[in-house]
Amino acid sequence: MRTPLALLNLIHDRKKFLTSLAGVAFAVLLMFLFNGFKNALYDSQTQLLEKFNGEIVIINRLKENMFVPRSFARRRLYQARAFDGVEAAFAVYTSDARWKNPETKQTRPVRVIAYNPSEPVLPTADILAHRDDLTMLNTALIDRRARAEVGPREAGIITELADREIRIVGTFSLGTDFAAGNGNLIMSDQNFLRYFAFRGPEEDERSFATVDLGLLKVAPGTNVQQLVQTLREQLPQDILVLSKDGPDGFVMRERQYWEENTNIGFVFSLLTTMGFVVGIILVYQILYTDVADHWSEYATLKAMGYDNLFLFGVVMQEAIILSVLGFIPGFLVSAMFYNLAAGVTGLIFRMTLERVVSIYIMTFIMCLVSGAIAVRKVQATDPAEVFGL
Amino acid sequence: MSSTPIPNLEGSNQPWASTEDRSVQIRSLNYFFGWGELRKQVLYDISLDLSRGQIVIMTGPSGSGKTTLLTLIGALRSVHEGSLKVMGQELVGLGSRQRVDIRRNIGFIFQAHNLFESLTACQNVEMAVELTGQFHDKRQQAAAILEKVGLGDRIDYKPQALSGGQKQRVAIARALVNQPQLILADEPTAALDKKSGRDVVTLLQKLAQEENCTILMVTHDNRILDVAHRIINLVDGRLESDESLQHFVDTHDPKSLDRRMFIM
Repeated sequence: MRTPLALLNLIHDRKKFLTSLAGVAFAVLLMFLFNGFKNALYDSQTQLLEKFNGEIVIINRLKENMFVPRSFARRRLYQARAFDGVEAAFAVYTSDARWKNPETKQTRPVRVIAYNPSEPVLPTADILAHRDDLTMLNTALIDRRARAEVGPREAGIITELADREIRIVGTFSLGTDFAAGNGNLIMSDQNFLRYFAFRGPEEDERSFATVDLGLLKVAPGTNVQQLVQTLREQLPQDILVLSKDGPDGFVMRERQYWEENTNIGFVFSLLTTMGFVVGIILVYQILYTDVADHWSEYATLKAMGYDNLFLFGVVMQEAIILSVLGFIPGFLVSAMFYNLAAGVTGLIFRMTLERVVSIYIMTFIMCLVSGAIAVRKVQATDPAEVFGL
Repeated sequence: MSSTPIPNLEGSNQPWASTEDRSVQIRSLNYFFGWGELRKQVLYDISLDLSRGQIVIMTGPSGSGKTTLLTLIGALRSVHEGSLKVMGQELVGLGSRQRVDIRRNIGFIFQAHNLFESLTACQNVEMAVELTGQFHDKRQQAAAILEKVGLGDRIDYKPQALSGGQKQRVAIARALVNQPQLILADEPTAALDKKSGRDVVTLLQKLAQEENCTILMVTHDNRILDVAHRIINLVDGRLESDESLQHFVDTHDPKSLDRRMFIM
């Protein structure tokens, strides 16, 4: 076995080695954070939509994204239910309303999601458990992952929503997005009317005649794409019928809207790239210092009969060792930050294998590029110059 | 001083001999630095033979081209004009790849030890053994040569824990471990005190005799001249004198010798 020169050179000076690893870890952290924020913002936009129980979604043709408060006639849902393969149609009502923080008495807008509690619109265990509580007057469930600014997020709170008293009877877990920056409440459609039917002259009047979002539950074995096509052809053109999942689906459409119509992607990609460049500079400094410090030793190796390829190998090995050993602490700290940021913002930070691998690949490339720049110093070393020094 | 039989003292003026007993054979070597207007000749018409087993010391004022000649013989620079054969292999016109192969058969010793601080004495020597591809017994080979240079009890020490003389002995072990026929040394004692310097040179002399290898050493250190079979004096890129040690001592008054030949 060859003497592991690269590894021994790196770890010879423990303090310097740890500093180097911290440098790489920092670059990894930057990339993870910026990439994480980008993904969190996108992922958060669709987390509610993904939870909806239904294969087909009907919305107003003008509802470009969840921000647009356009509703459509509820009779379209009844019409849709008449088609073969449609088992059920659920109406979902949403509206923003001022929520008073019971402790600070300050109001903040929250989003209210309302539907008939007897229908499995959001069939998660914590929501289903409070199905009966929701049928009571002026009650709602609050999101545990709503931002801290809305006050305590627990059952038993009595405060005001849209200037009316509201009682929190339970909690659920969702998280925030652009349309619900502070958090979400879930209530029954009956209560929804109590709060939003007549809110005042400057607010829209709401009734059961219009629906914000329609969900269709299809029979098992139904071809969803075909059914969507049929519904599009048969139903009036004031609505948009979309499958929920899939590349042309409702969830993807919402994500694409934010990707294509905002600068989030650009800004965070730019920041990620900056983390990458910072990493290149850091690793280059580390490797260059090593090469410069050991210049005469490397030149001696060349004089002895080692070729440039060998020295290239040594520097590249150092680069790869740094990329692996620096990535691990970088990843662990990032995972910690992800948890922390998720807790503070209510956005969802997903550390998927694919994202971890892609950041590692970037780290690897970062170290290779730095190594390739630093290695030129060794390649250019003229072994004749060690004589007479 | 030295009582060992001295082979081939005749120097450069003898006719061509068979290549087997010639470690180095130089004919009409010219060397230039730079290009075009700035081209400056540093070596003029050097002709020199080094026989196998000889210890040759090269002296001369600084800037006389000693180091340049050493690096040319060591295949560290490409030769432009003349003929330069090292162990029978013509170096003129060789590409850098072929010069790397030549260098593997030459032992280099520098003024600085140039050991990797991160490697133990043994590992530093093993780096040289690895060039030959003998990975299985590299440690035994390295340990054996370190034993020979008197560092048998220090093989797993890092350079930091070794004295200057010990480090230079590790460097010598590294240069000798592959049994090269030619050793090129550039002021190997310059960084050492008198006693360590003496020890290092005596060691070199002993090992050269055992392995029958040729040593070409550049030095300003006249305390160690006595180990040489021949002393070559280079002045302004020309071979000024080439004489046996005895002749050298007889004709040079030590005081004038210092003035004339060892101007730094």
